[in-house]
Amino acid sequence: MSFQTRPPEQLEVIAERVPPPSQANDALVIGTAIAAAVCAAGFAIALLLGAPLSAFATLLALAMLFMAISVRRYFADRYPDIDAAEPRAEPVPDESAIQGARGSPPIQGARGSPPIQGARGSPPIQGARGSPPISDVEPVVGRRPLLTRILIGCATVLGLSFLVPVSSLGPAPGNQLRMTQWRAGRRVVTGDGEPVRPEAIAPGGVVTAWPEGAIGAEPSAVIVLRLTQPPLPPTRPEWIVDGDVVAYSKICTHAGCPVALFRERENALFCPCHQSTFDANRGAVVTFGPAERALPQLPLGIENGELIALGDFVEQVGPAFG
Amino acid sequence: MTPLFALLFDALDSRLGLRRPGRTVANKVFPHHWSFLLGEVALFSFVVLVATGTFLTFFYRPSTELVTYAGSSPLYRGVQLPEAFASVIRLSEEVPGGLMMRRIHRAASHLFIASTVLHMLRILLTGAFRKPREPNYHIGLLLLTLALAEGFVGYSLPYDSLAGTGIRIAYSELLSFPVIGDQLAFWVFGGEFPTGDLIPRFFVFHVMLIPGLIIALIGVHLALLVRQRHTQFPRRGIDGHRMVVGKPLWPAQFQESTTLILWIGGLLTASAVLIPWSDITLLGPYIPGEVGNNAQPDWFLFWVDGMLRILPPVEVDLPGVTISGPFIAGIVLPTLVFGALIAYPFLERKVYRLRGEWHVLSNPLEIPLRAAMSIGTFSFVLIVSAAATNDILSRLTGIPIEGLTRFFRLTAVFVPPLLAFLLYWYSKRRLARTGLRVASAEVDADTRLGAGSLRT
Repeated sequence: MSFQTRPPEQLEVIAERVPPPSQANDALVIGTAIAAAVCAAGFAIALLLGAPLSAFATLLALAMLFMAISVRRYFADRYPDIDAAEPRAEPVPDESAIQGARGSPPIQGARGSPPIQGARGSPPIQGARGSPPISDVEPVVGRRPLLTRILIGCATVLGLSFLVPVSSLGPAPGNQLRMTQWRAGRRVVTGDGEPVRPEAIAPGGVVTAWPEGAIGAEPSAVIVLRLTQPPLPPTRPEWIVDGDVVAYSKICTHAGCPVALFRERENALFCPCHQSTFDANRGAVVTFGPAERALPQLPLGIENGELIALGDFVEQVGPAFG
Repeated sequence: MTPLFALLFDALDSRLGLRRPGRTVANKVFPHHWSFLLGEVALFSFVVLVATGTFLTFFYRPSTELVTYAGSSPLYRGVQLPEAFASVIRLSEEVPGGLMMRRIHRAASHLFIASTVLHMLRILLTGAFRKPREPNYHIGLLLLTLALAEGFVGYSLPYDSLAGTGIRIAYSELLSFPVIGDQLAFWVFGGEFPTGDLIPRFFVFHVMLIPGLIIALIGVHLALLVRQRHTQFPRRGIDGHRMVVGKPLWPAQFQESTTLILWIGGLLTASAVLIPWSDITLLGPYIPGEVGNNAQPDWFLFWVDGMLRILPPVEVDLPGVTISGPFIAGIVLPTLVFGALIAYPFLERKVYRLRGEWHVLSNPLEIPLRAAMSIGTFSFVLIVSAAATNDILSRLTGIPIEGLTRFFRLTAVFVPPLLAFLLYWYSKRRLARTGLRVASAEVDADTRLGAGSLRT
């Protein structure tokens, strides 16, 4: 009966009340759990549909309050109501007592004396399946797996609904990524906003250019270059000016780095990040490296001696998605 | 235990040896009393604060640069606003659920500080601070200080007109330190108020430094609680000095705590529907040199603001040293209040020549010094807190503000000592009448076995 004979983790039960099992309580647990799940789902839907704060926040509040009732009632008649005792650590004598100054003598025999009136030890409880249970408190009523599963399921719905505000972190992408700022008739300008004239580009020369009014709109960046050899298919001849001035998207189709380098001798566009190499003479098809798709060719035209776009890219710009 | 959980647990147990410590944890005994949940309320409000605060950081921009507002709020369309303020408006008006998150965050901050204060009062009044728990009591006071600082800095971040005014006063408080104040203020603010570094720094204080410290200290606070075990109220027939009696963690305390966090989450969310917490849209952005009426801080700093209001003008100019009213009211007096709280456990032990360890809580009326000290300190804090509303009281009652201020001065000086004396005298008489005495060791204390007057 004394504490020392027990392993320290053994629960010392001093009073135990077994609640009567109740069908009504089961119904309350299930009802409030389902109500919580319904409110949580309602919160998610209301938030996603853009309902006012008073609607979705009320649903979220109700979901948590219903779940609180459900959890509380779940435990109410499932487990015995136990009062347990835990021995305190052996007191350390005061500093003054250690030094031998006036102080109380160390308390002796505190552990040996019967600790409580009417305490009774509980027999060690063995688990149903061999290994001892983690807790010494076993359910008093038979397992009610349906009740537990409904509660855990509904609590999961509530937990998942807490993640729905993630949808507020950014807008829906829609069609935005499939378009750039290029439109038919939009002028091709340099980073300083100067219109690009084809005669300003020498054979083998390269210019980074933007749609007018959208300088710095990264997915719209193009490289305009004058080829030193006649272009071959699959280069689209109708999008070439002067027979050898061609524009490709500057955004690598592998991982989105700017294709910043041009090797004039091989007419090769080279991405410095992962070494994808594109043949500028043949519609910027991949000749080496991890990129899978050619750099999209910009439909290029001329108006009043200045380069213009004849429309947006036909192929998708940049790395793959979707 | 569901089969899946059992499988996972067995797999981990065979590698990590979880069963024995798991059992010790599951069998940990929690005394059953509502006041023991106050600390849990604080803990769970802090959990809510971290969760909602993380969401807010995704949208908040810590900058006072002026930007042209182009959002959907008709009040500010085309107006130049500090970027921090504009980002809070955008979060509230355009982000689905953004306003709810802000309101829950604000409501949770009130609950966090309020429950921390009440928890501290419970510890103080019942004597849970006595040996061996003084270190944890002091960690708790540090946590309260950090909570107040975190609350103030968070209140500043939207950079609305009241927030900016509050920051200006904090700057003046730093400046008021004799000799080193100007350098101190420039270190914290990066230069003369208002600087562009101010809000970015406050942001780092609010989302990193202070919460990091709070999380670390909560860890230590709870580790010490587990190691030292709970105190408990006297209970007839139970020797609380040698054992702690209560409900095991599984299932009773688990039920209690899970229910509690759901209640807290639910009620905070419901309050976000009913109360427009921290509605800064109509307050407007902070513009240096402007402030409106009703310039109050958050309630938890009323006491400091109240002292600033009622302290008579003081300024002592010595060669090279200036001691000003704001230093006395905003730094010295709050330090004294916290100093009294820090020192009290040692004082009580000294005065009553206490020996040994103390685990059973007592009625403060059985320890006259504790009763006197508690009522003295807290009546003072409440009176000077009330003084922070003198402008509103004056408008409501029609009493001129000068008269009210004089009233609060007199009350703050005379009422706390008077109440302390009266309660001291009453507790002494009460002890004499019941034949009890203040025991110097818990094994001798009549209250230990619940025979005292707290529970009969």
